[in-house]
Amino acid sequence: MESPSRSSSSDDYRYMQLAIEQAKLALETLEVPVGCVIVESGEVIATGRNRTTETRNATRHAEMEAIDDLLHRWQKNGLTPPQVAEKFSKCNLYVTCEPCIMCAGALSILGFNEVYFGCGNDKFGGCGSVLSLHSSSSQTPQSGSSQSPPKRGFKCTGGIMASEAVALFRSFYEQGNPNAPKPHRPVLHQLSQ
Amino acid sequence: MEGVNTWDIVHVPSKPRFPPDNQPTVNVFASAIDPKFANSIVRRLNQIAPLENLRHVKRVRKERLEGGKFQLSVILCLARDGEDHLKTIPADMLELTSSYQLSAFITKVCGFPASSKEEWEEQCKLWPTSYHPPTYNIDGITGFSEEDAQSVCSFTRFALQLAAISGVAQVHNAAVIVDPSVKQVIASACDDVFYGQTLTEKTNSHNSCHEQISHHHIDLNGAATQTAPCSNGKPNELKHHYGSVSCLHPWQWSKQQAYTNSCYWHPLRHAAIAAIEYSAARDRQLYPGPAQDIDGFSEMEQVQSSLEDSPLKRQKTAKDKDDARHEEDDNDRTLKLPRPYLCTGYDIYLVWEPCVMCAMALVHQRVRRIFFVFPNTHAGALGSVHRLQGEESLNHHYAVFRVMVPEESLAIVK
Ligand SMILES: [Zn+2]
Ligand SMILES: [Zn+2]
Repeated sequence: MESPSRSSSSDDYRYMQLAIEQAKLALETLEVPVGCVIVESGEVIATGRNRTTETRNATRHAEMEAIDDLLHRWQKNGLTPPQVAEKFSKCNLYVTCEPCIMCAGALSILGFNEVYFGCGNDKFGGCGSVLSLHSSSSQTPQSGSSQSPPKRGFKCTGGIMASEAVALFRSFYEQGNPNAPKPHRPVLHQLSQ
Repeated sequence: MEGVNTWDIVHVPSKPRFPPDNQPTVNVFASAIDPKFANSIVRRLNQIAPLENLRHVKRVRKERLEGGKFQLSVILCLARDGEDHLKTIPADMLELTSSYQLSAFITKVCGFPASSKEEWEEQCKLWPTSYHPPTYNIDGITGFSEEDAQSVCSFTRFALQLAAISGVAQVHNAAVIVDPSVKQVIASACDDVFYGQTLTEKTNSHNSCHEQISHHHIDLNGAATQTAPCSNGKPNELKHHYGSVSCLHPWQWSKQQAYTNSCYWHPLRHAAIAAIEYSAARDRQLYPGPAQDIDGFSEMEQVQSSLEDSPLKRQKTAKDKDDARHEEDDNDRTLKLPRPYLCTGYDIYLVWEPCVMCAMALVHQRVRRIFFVFPNTHAGALGSVHRLQGEESLNHHYAVFRVMVPEESLAIVK
């Protein structure tokens, strides 16, 4: 991960706070608490929260939700693919947890400008933890076909309000699975000590 | 793509294959030792220089010399890259070598555990290693029964035909999610990045889930009589312009100019992503009502490491549940299909090796096996550019296979 080359501005915290609000909404609906906002020219233009449980689709991460919302609106407004690409190239994403490999791949495909995240994601992270899909140079194809555009990376900064993001995960774990038989949890808890 | 004459299903392992006699090696310092000091030397070595990343390498080598005598040698420590001089041995190691009067030399050992018996035999020519055949066994890694191979060929053919049919103007990737225990198509989709025509696949996941492909005639010799269920027309030519296969050229979408408002497009709707969505929609349709115990833990586990000290190891119980349900599935399936957990136990057939976004989506959705026909040297994430099946930190691992399709069977779609 690139080390932050500037100190995070108060704006970054403001946007991340909004992402945290989204994560809290996810928590309230018993989803893994991850939230995000997409910012264009200083304006929040989309929000998203994790909806994997509700949709029974484990790919419905917060980033995908926000992206789909934008694509839907832009398309309704008649924007063409090049215009949408132009829009994405001016968008910054604020997400409470490091984008996973899937989402990092998606952010690269769409050509996001910058990504800010809260806590790292040692198991799935695609922005430095497991793979580094944000650094475009890390995976140059050996013999690229000439008509294909070059792979695009994006600037990535982690650690913004990480403890708040982790605290939400913690309360998710601690509230437990409301659908699981209650007696089992404390027993397993003791056994695993 | 070079032609092959017969169907073949090739396992794509979780680490790159090297020629057995040309495996990557690392340099180590070693020394001959007196057998009577072997125990105490090894004990001391395990304290001061444990072989952390070389657990497959045996610390001690026993060689038979001429005349029936044995010679014991021991690995002292790693020799750092480019440093083959004995002066670079650490101080506490020097202490040990001098107290036992050892004379160190540099030798090579294999850097990665052997993934086959053949590799292991070659490794031991350099320095002995241990070999552990894979403990997990997803069906197929150690070979396919005739029946299973036929079923794999049949679904592969289905995916190829789907790709050909959808590619009216351009070539698309196709994805077919299958429940192998009942040989049933759960969902199928083609690249949905751009489409102007009505796409039957968009809403037919409910239909196709009742479609059993097993009654289609399967002919391993390539004389196919099977018809794709969604076919209205003849399969079109798979042209040699693959620019529209999303996983091959994920960045290509931004170049498309002329699309009207009536044309739907979505840069991320690669075939696998769309198929996952249809299978989730099918799941919601067939098993309505609130989730009983789905808790989205696939993403929950992503933060496990940051919560290492959390007293609730929830993903463990979730996993146990998962396994239990799977067993239940197998016993109960013919009577009443239990609600699936994501794509646990399912296979997916793809014409092209998926990109990293799609490959990770298939991890999230817990697909059991992936079969693809053509490698994706440009952006493939199952061995070509990345190799997600070998990323150990991931919470789920699928087995990956490449299906070699004979030229004559490709001709039916070409
Ligand atoms: Zn994600
Ligand atoms: Zn893809």
